[in-house]
Amino acid sequence: MANELTAEGVAILAAAAGVHLDTATAARVARAVSPTVGRFLAPDIVVPFEIEPATFVVVQHRDARR
Amino acid sequence: MTDPTMLSLSELVTALRDRTVSSVEVTQALLKRIEVWQPALNAFVAVDAEEALRAAKQADTASGARRGALHGVPLAHKDMYYSAGKPASCGSKIRAGWIAPATSTAVARLEAAGSFRLGALHMAEFAYGPTGHNTHLGHAHNPWDRSRITGGSSSGSGAAVAARLIPAALGSDTGGSIRLPAHFCGVTALKPTSGRVSRANAMPLSYTLDTVGPLARTAQDCGLILSLITGSDPLDPTTCGAPPWNPAAAERSPSGLTIGVPTRFYVDELERDVATALDEALETFRRLGARLVKVDLPDETAVSAAALIVLAVEATSIHAPWLRTRAEDYGPQVRARLENGLAYSGVQYLEALRWRGPALEAHLAALGDVDLVVAPAARSAAPTLAETDVGAEGGAAIQTLTSFTRPINYLGLPALVVPAGRTPQGLPIGLQLIGRPFGDELLIALGRAFQVATDYHQRVPPAP
Repeated sequence: MANELTAEGVAILAAAAGVHLDTATAARVARAVSPTVGRFLAPDIVVPFEIEPATFVVVQHRDARR
Repeated sequence: MTDPTMLSLSELVTALRDRTVSSVEVTQALLKRIEVWQPALNAFVAVDAEEALRAAKQADTASGARRGALHGVPLAHKDMYYSAGKPASCGSKIRAGWIAPATSTAVARLEAAGSFRLGALHMAEFAYGPTGHNTHLGHAHNPWDRSRITGGSSSGSGAAVAARLIPAALGSDTGGSIRLPAHFCGVTALKPTSGRVSRANAMPLSYTLDTVGPLARTAQDCGLILSLITGSDPLDPTTCGAPPWNPAAAERSPSGLTIGVPTRFYVDELERDVATALDEALETFRRLGARLVKVDLPDETAVSAAALIVLAVEATSIHAPWLRTRAEDYGPQVRARLENGLAYSGVQYLEALRWRGPALEAHLAALGDVDLVVAPAARSAAPTLAETDVGAEGGAAIQTLTSFTRPINYLGLPALVVPAGRTPQGLPIGLQLIGRPFGDELLIALGRAFQVATDYHQRVPPAP
């Protein structure tokens, strides 16, 4: 599965953040995180091209004026 | 004289104003009750008895000048709301003995209204856990059954308000940390709309998802607290442009409101007592004049996944310096959660942030003209401490506790939890009233009407 993280991949990401994870911990993290990554990569989640994080506030305030 | 610890915050405010009770009498009564309950609950991390009695005396002798709506009211808050010069351990070993350099805006506003500090309340380590377990400072215990969880992370706030050790308390809610203790302990609580209440000088967990709100005995009390702490704060830019509190909207009749009842997700796999409480509450809302309609919300599992990514990355980013140097000083569950946050990429994090607007837009489109949604706060009443003491490997089991609360933080919506049922064992069951953006007042109005029609919020746990 393309969405399955590996212990090696997790260890590399952690090392890039300056945190050393041993193999068992990296494997645990991979198991814990893979379902969330997989769900978020599913095709029903589409982020339109022009959207930025602050668009949330625009939507929020637009509804408040309703 | 009525036992002042049994008064709701609003009743207490009236009694103090009318001088049928003094602030010193209230403070002494609460301190006496804390002495009895604290060994059983572990709800407080600090009790400032002498200082509180001094403040109470000062409030009583203030020559007729009331400071504000909370004049003479003792309060205690989750130990992550900074008070200048006071320790704030944030439920952790790492911050043990740390002294806050400034006071949080929310606490400052409550104190400007005349309240004063009675102590500080227990919490999950760094507010990163939904159960109330704490390996450093001992677990908090549910006042209805000491073998069960309080819910977290505002564990002390839920337990102390339920046991009548304090009339109201601030909690924080990033994925359910106000609403779960309210549900499990049987109190009323409001997670406000994102941007409604300043988070300045409160411990951060997730910049995007953190909210500050009250736990109290009634919806009216929650409305009173929110009316005082809401509003723009230059120290927290997310509060810019938020509408001011609308007291008339918080008192409107529920007649004519349209309530959405989810067709899926929030009604799936409910324990029977929770399903019964939901059905009975819906019938109460109907009798109060609300119109009930089915609402087919977008897939909340996607919203939940986005929320998990945002929370994990932001929490890990905040804790990265300590994770590099003091990882062994975290409890096993919190350390595991922080390590999980290392596994997401920058692209995944930003996509999860960017999707927040479209996800809210889709939610609002599904609501149509629905004013608010009613849903359970969790699938079951409080599990035991033992059942939820799952260690580093049990992340998925713990995540299910926040299934019904986490999506609301991502969507930035307000949600009020009201006690709405009991299990045969006497454990409380709470329901969420989930509003539209900045619709906090409407939730208070409906909660007030519900609590006139029901008495679940008035039940008091038996003494230990």
